[in-house]
Amino acid sequence: MAQNKDKNTIEYGEPVGMLAAQSLGEPGTQMILRAFHFAGIESTIATSGLPRIVELVDARKKPETPITFIYLTGEYKRSVGKAEQTLKKVSEVRMGIVVRRILENFSKGIIKLVLDAQVLKANELTPGQLAQKVAKKLDARTKVDKDGNILVKLKTKKLTEVRSTSVKLMKDVVQGVEGAGKAVLQKDPKTGEFYIIAAGSNIGGIMDIEGVDKSKIYTNDVFAMCRQFGIEAARNTLVRELDTTLREQKINVDKRHLMLIADAMTYSGTIKGVGRHGLSGQKQSVFAKAAYEETVKHLVNAAAFSEVDYMRGVTENILVGKQIPLGTGSVHLAIKKEDMQKVKPKK
Amino acid sequence: MDGKKTYVYLNGKAIGYITDPAKFVYEVRSARRSGKISGEINVAYSDKLDSININTDRGRIRKPYLIVENGRSRLTPELNERMKKKEINFSYLLRNGIVEYLDAEEEENALVAIDESSITNATTHLEFDLTAIFGLSANLAPYAEHNAIARQAMSVNYMKQSEGLYATNFNQRFDSRTYVLFYPQAPLITTVPYEALDVKRHASGQNLVVALSTYYGYNMADALVINKAAVDRGVGRSMFYKSYTDEERRYPGGQRDRFKVPPATSEGYMGEHAYSKLSEDGIIEPEMAVDEGDVLIGKVAPPRFLEENIGASGLEERMRDDSVVLKPGENGVVDSVLFTETPGATRTVKVRIRSLRVPEKGDKFASRHGQKGVLALLANPEDMPFTESGIVPDILLNPLSIPSRLTFGHLLEEIAGKASALSGSILDGTAFTESGKDRLKKYGEILTQAGFDVHGDETLYDGMTGRPFKAKIFVGVTYYYRLYHMVSNKMQVRSRGKVQILTHQPTEGKARLGALRFGEMERDALVGYGASLLLKERMLDQSDKTAVLICRQCGGMGYYDHIKRIQTCPMCGASALAEVEISYAFKVLLDEIRSMHIMPTVKLKD
Repeated sequence: MAQNKDKNTIEYGEPVGMLAAQSLGEPGTQMILRAFHFAGIESTIATSGLPRIVELVDARKKPETPITFIYLTGEYKRSVGKAEQTLKKVSEVRMGIVVRRILENFSKGIIKLVLDAQVLKANELTPGQLAQKVAKKLDARTKVDKDGNILVKLKTKKLTEVRSTSVKLMKDVVQGVEGAGKAVLQKDPKTGEFYIIAAGSNIGGIMDIEGVDKSKIYTNDVFAMCRQFGIEAARNTLVRELDTTLREQKINVDKRHLMLIADAMTYSGTIKGVGRHGLSGQKQSVFAKAAYEETVKHLVNAAAFSEVDYMRGVTENILVGKQIPLGTGSVHLAIKKEDMQKVKPKK
Repeated sequence: MDGKKTYVYLNGKAIGYITDPAKFVYEVRSARRSGKISGEINVAYSDKLDSININTDRGRIRKPYLIVENGRSRLTPELNERMKKKEINFSYLLRNGIVEYLDAEEEENALVAIDESSITNATTHLEFDLTAIFGLSANLAPYAEHNAIARQAMSVNYMKQSEGLYATNFNQRFDSRTYVLFYPQAPLITTVPYEALDVKRHASGQNLVVALSTYYGYNMADALVINKAAVDRGVGRSMFYKSYTDEERRYPGGQRDRFKVPPATSEGYMGEHAYSKLSEDGIIEPEMAVDEGDVLIGKVAPPRFLEENIGASGLEERMRDDSVVLKPGENGVVDSVLFTETPGATRTVKVRIRSLRVPEKGDKFASRHGQKGVLALLANPEDMPFTESGIVPDILLNPLSIPSRLTFGHLLEEIAGKASALSGSILDGTAFTESGKDRLKKYGEILTQAGFDVHGDETLYDGMTGRPFKAKIFVGVTYYYRLYHMVSNKMQVRSRGKVQILTHQPTEGKARLGALRFGEMERDALVGYGASLLLKERMLDQSDKTAVLICRQCGGMGYYDHIKRIQTCPMCGASALAEVEISYAFKVLLDEIRSMHIMPTVKLKD
């Protein structure tokens, strides 16, 4: 065991960052740019492959396809009916989906919402409910006509205001959690338990819903995880997402490389990308920054603020032609000149 | 009509509107077909945009089609008969509205049938031939329909790179670089377009006996083993011609260049030896063997910068040597020298060097199916496998090159080539003319009649032991190109050499006798390995190491005063400076920063 431990311990001076970068970068060249795969349901196809890796490493604020896995508690995960109740509360339905057509009467200040009866039925909504919601939201009088359409009487007759209200109205959430996205019910084939997949990442809103297991909720949106559970969770999410994305393409990268990258991105308490605005841009050395991107900008700043380069990194030492402080270059003689006198061999 | 307006655009400009687009388009087309308007006019109706585009401008790609009317091709059997008897020609068909050219836009309105049997009532045009789905050059390779399209595209590229008899007057021409194959052969397997274009007059390959066999690992991964005896008999042998040109330029002020052996006093004189092969007029003689560094055309030019005191010694001695020198790594024999004058009465000299290119290890070959390979071994014929009839293959091609690349045309050509050689007749390999099955059957019959295996397999005997191989090996005849990528033109070595003036780093590129770049990723690899001293050696010691004097007091750069024999710092006047090794590139960086009135200082640590 002691042997094993030694074998698995990184030695002093080992350039782990470079190794991590190479270990992630090289397989990246082999990845298919946009892989097609049809696992899961149509609405929940997530970005995968290289675009996803780039998204994670760049620390984009919003992922291209946010997905939330919502696990349920007790009763809810066993019965379809109960699970569907939760699903209904989660799944985001916007006005634009239930409304088939909008007719605006500018001279009277009336908006007529022609509803799609099928969609209404599928979401178990009635025109009356909707009318009430609209009335509350807009503080206006609403009426349901004989064809089951909603008439909204606005207080204003101004053309621009009528139009902007109707546009805004379409974006209103009529059911479910805002930002949760469209959700679908899934059944775990092994345990037979139900869970929900949502195409959004507002986990804060979702967590408050009855039946949702707060301890197991997971989203691929690193920033959402960070907001809800803190930086440690974000770091773990990063590792997990990188790992699964690579695994999907059958690329084997040691998890410890990914962990190092995730650590480097999150150690400061906020999520930073690896590029110009993130890790590379926050290097201490002027030369290292100037050698990467925006050379002139960094040199001008350094000159203006009389910056000092302490020559501690790799890039700057190669630039001037010194031995790099890594690997074999990381060891020095730790003895003072004066002390050398004392160890002088006797004649 | 419902009064709907359809706009008409002539070469992109709106010129008016009409109300019945279908009728309008029909009328324009009929006028074109009957010759009332030019055949170069194309008209297209776009129903999405509800607009008509008439194009008459240049630069459109157009393609001829047979016109189909009422479900029948306008090229009637009678006309076809007359075509065959050569009573009428293609332009007759064009004039009489049997054939018309469509551009990309009008093609959108056409429904083209690929053959007569697939014509329906909606069909408007008929393709001349199925092979039209390939371009002309793709059709020069046989069995194109049996290859993956990517390979077919590569095959066309290799055809462009092949050596052959590009022009029959090649020895009268002064092309800057050309190759001429010694024994070009017409392929045994041709195609109809190949014959129609008469490409065989300028053939660019040879029919070689190919065995699909390994040979002691010498033909792994697209390497080729070629029979040395075959090369000695002329396989792939070619001549490389390269022309050097120079002229006597005139300069403002009445000065001009002069062809002559430069005097030893001229600027940039390269030493007596370099000019030893020149004749009295300063130009080299034909049939003179030349090597790198030899002067081909001796020329002196006036100095670049005029000095103030041009003394009595005259201009002649001040002339600059501007001779044409044979480039590094090149050699050969002077083939021909051309001495002429341009219309502006400038004397011009062209010198053509010829150099033999016998196939050697590292030269590139390719078949007509995108199967390229690099010669890796010139095997002795006595060591190579031979067939029952004693034939030693010219090329041993690794069988693994075939399945993953899906170039079945290569196999088909090989077996057809064999059949062709045995029957003594040129065979046709035009795409889509016959099914692969029928072809195989036909070739199989020829092979069996000649006493060979139907599939082209043969028992090979090991040249070293004389024992037969257990497996039957596929042997056939395939047309091979020799491509103009040759090691002798590319090989270059350097241990020490020139550096760039600005950075003191080694030069780049073969022409400048450069070094190989130790790039960013190579750097990363060494960093990743932690080999700090090796990295330093590459980036500094073997590159642009310089020693500079750094002032311990002010951090500026000092110099060694050779008169006073002391080190001096021009900034603070200190005289004890530290000698520091840095890269010259970094020194240049510091200099450039200083040139912008910014003072970078270097703090030293012991």
